[in-house]
Amino acid sequence: MHCASGAETLIETRDLAREYRVGSSTVRALDGLDLTVRRGEFLAVVGVSGSGKSTLLHLLGGLDTPTSGSVRVEGRDLASFRKSERTIYRRTMVGFVFQSYYLVSSMTAEENVALALTFQGTFGETRRSKAAEAIRRVGLERRADHRPNQLSGGEQQRVAIARAIVHTPPLLLADEPTGNLDRATAGEMMSLVRRIHEELGTTVVMVTHDEETASRAADRMVRLRDGRLVDAGASTP
Amino acid sequence: MRIWMIVRLALGGLRRTPLRVVLTSLGVTIASGAIVSMVGFALGLQAQAEAPFEKLGLLNNIEVTPKGLEFAHHPHDPDDAPPPDDAPAPDDAPAPDDAPALDDAAMERMEAIPGVVLTYPDFRATGIKLIHGERREGATAIGFPREASLLGFVRDMLVAGDFFSVSDAPEVILSEQLARKVGFESPEKALGAIVTLEATGLSPEEAETFRFERKELKVKVVGVYSVPRMGPRMVSSSVVLPVELMKQIPGIQFTPALASLRAGRTAAGAGYQRVTVRVRHPSDLASVEQKIRDMGFKTRTLLSQLEEMRTFFVFIDVLLASVGTVALVVAALGIINTLLMSVLERFQEIGIYKAIGASDGDLVVLFLTEAGIIGLLGGLGGLALGRAVSWILELAVNAYARGQGVTFHLDLFAFPVWLLAGAVAFAVVVSVLAGVYPAVRAARVDPIRALRRE
Repeated sequence: MHCASGAETLIETRDLAREYRVGSSTVRALDGLDLTVRRGEFLAVVGVSGSGKSTLLHLLGGLDTPTSGSVRVEGRDLASFRKSERTIYRRTMVGFVFQSYYLVSSMTAEENVALALTFQGTFGETRRSKAAEAIRRVGLERRADHRPNQLSGGEQQRVAIARAIVHTPPLLLADEPTGNLDRATAGEMMSLVRRIHEELGTTVVMVTHDEETASRAADRMVRLRDGRLVDAGASTP
Repeated sequence: MRIWMIVRLALGGLRRTPLRVVLTSLGVTIASGAIVSMVGFALGLQAQAEAPFEKLGLLNNIEVTPKGLEFAHHPHDPDDAPPPDDAPAPDDAPAPDDAPALDDAAMERMEAIPGVVLTYPDFRATGIKLIHGERREGATAIGFPREASLLGFVRDMLVAGDFFSVSDAPEVILSEQLARKVGFESPEKALGAIVTLEATGLSPEEAETFRFERKELKVKVVGVYSVPRMGPRMVSSSVVLPVELMKQIPGIQFTPALASLRAGRTAAGAGYQRVTVRVRHPSDLASVEQKIRDMGFKTRTLLSQLEEMRTFFVFIDVLLASVGTVALVVAALGIINTLLMSVLERFQEIGIYKAIGASDGDLVVLFLTEAGIIGLLGGLGGLALGRAVSWILELAVNAYARGQGVTFHLDLFAFPVWLLAGAVAFAVVVSVLAGVYPAVRAARVDPIRALRRE
């Protein structure tokens, strides 16, 4: 396959399919997808909306289960996981970043970041210091006490990124992270994700429709169309 | 720790819709306020009814009577013809021969039973005249042992002076009411005064005859007592005499002596008509009572009568609490409604929680906690409301009662700690139960659907 020799495989999907029933008809969001993600790789998945990008991300993150096929992470098939195992997988292995940030509006930036640790069972001083560190890493230490509505879009997305990496997961899944941002801010965001990827060695899978942004930040880019991989591209220049 | 974080999260969730939360918990407030004030009212009534018993220390007493002696129904009516010899014995009267006499020896044995603090013959003589100067007042004389001064409740009842001294001095304690009637302006003025008690009655003689006797006893007033209001009326126009002085009152032994003679015994061995055995603590009652029964006597306690009254009050409590519970169930529907709305509105937020690692269980705990907090707020508000309502009612009733000439303050309500704590706990439990369905709905939220809504 397109797996570069020598690098360890983190994620491998085989014949991955996901169907949704919409009324009486069936929509195939993913249709027999084979994809391999190496550990420590920054992969961009590009495609127009409706191409199945988000569905892929949800399947990789254990939020959803495939209709057929498999998603293997470190050799274990997510489809065989029980519900509680998938929860633990999400807690420990994955960090999510969404297009609309999805911050909890009643909490400050730092509390939003710390919230992820709460569900992971990290408390007290460890929780505080880890949250503060993640906030510092995204360069928001001056805004830590602000609530989402007091922050700009870029700042909110930084908080979301801090929340996604606060427990230093091996895998960061980003769903159109720059979709709601202007070009300049989007560029900043990409450099931030790139820096985190390099500093922490986090494997990043980012889906976006913005090829230009993707090509600038990612190691490798693949293209999705109608639920299939059409261009298993090599590393971008 | 984890729970504390979830409580904080729940508080954050509730803070977003303060008005709705306040209105929802107001429902709980009204319900638990109703429970608190209604049950508090029933408990208040019960306390009013029981106070005299407890203040007079009657609950620790066992009344002992001899078995088998048929007392005349009209003990003071000497014309009461004895039944003919061949008349069948009354049903509940076993052969008098094996029934022990309730005499000093029997009393000594009772006093030896563990838990017993005091035993004394229960003398009560009506038709006594209390004479002070020109005034004569009818009174009832009640015998009380000098040792009773050791009992706390006895001293509590005294409004002036002291209890009997430990001597043979002829002393008397008057009721406040009686002291006033015979011309003492205040309880204190009566202390030290010598008053005369005039008593008449039939005393048994050597042969099977009775002699009419009139006696005057000169006694010194050592104390004045007051009975709790709503107490037995008779006690309020009484004089209390030491037991040994009571024995000198003519006619005091007439009834048991007559009964003894009827049973074919001698008047001298009649023993007492009734003896009071006082135990240290009501919990000693059952065992002591059983031992006295084993000795062959009949017993009776006020506690057993009180139990009947209490059963009635429990019924009232349950009835009123049920009415309040209906209100609480209605409030619970409000909680279900509020939380279901919250689940719908926070659909996306729940999805986020799941995406960043919340388990279904975390979400159940979160929403149950929110329900519990609403219940707690409502329950605490209910305490305040219940107290406020009862305070207003009590003011109104007392104002009315004063208008009707009632001089003392009526305590209509009683709020024991268990009622207050129980009402809050009940509100919380019902609220948490109401939170179960919304919490399960929250746990079932599909994160994909929640996060796809843009």
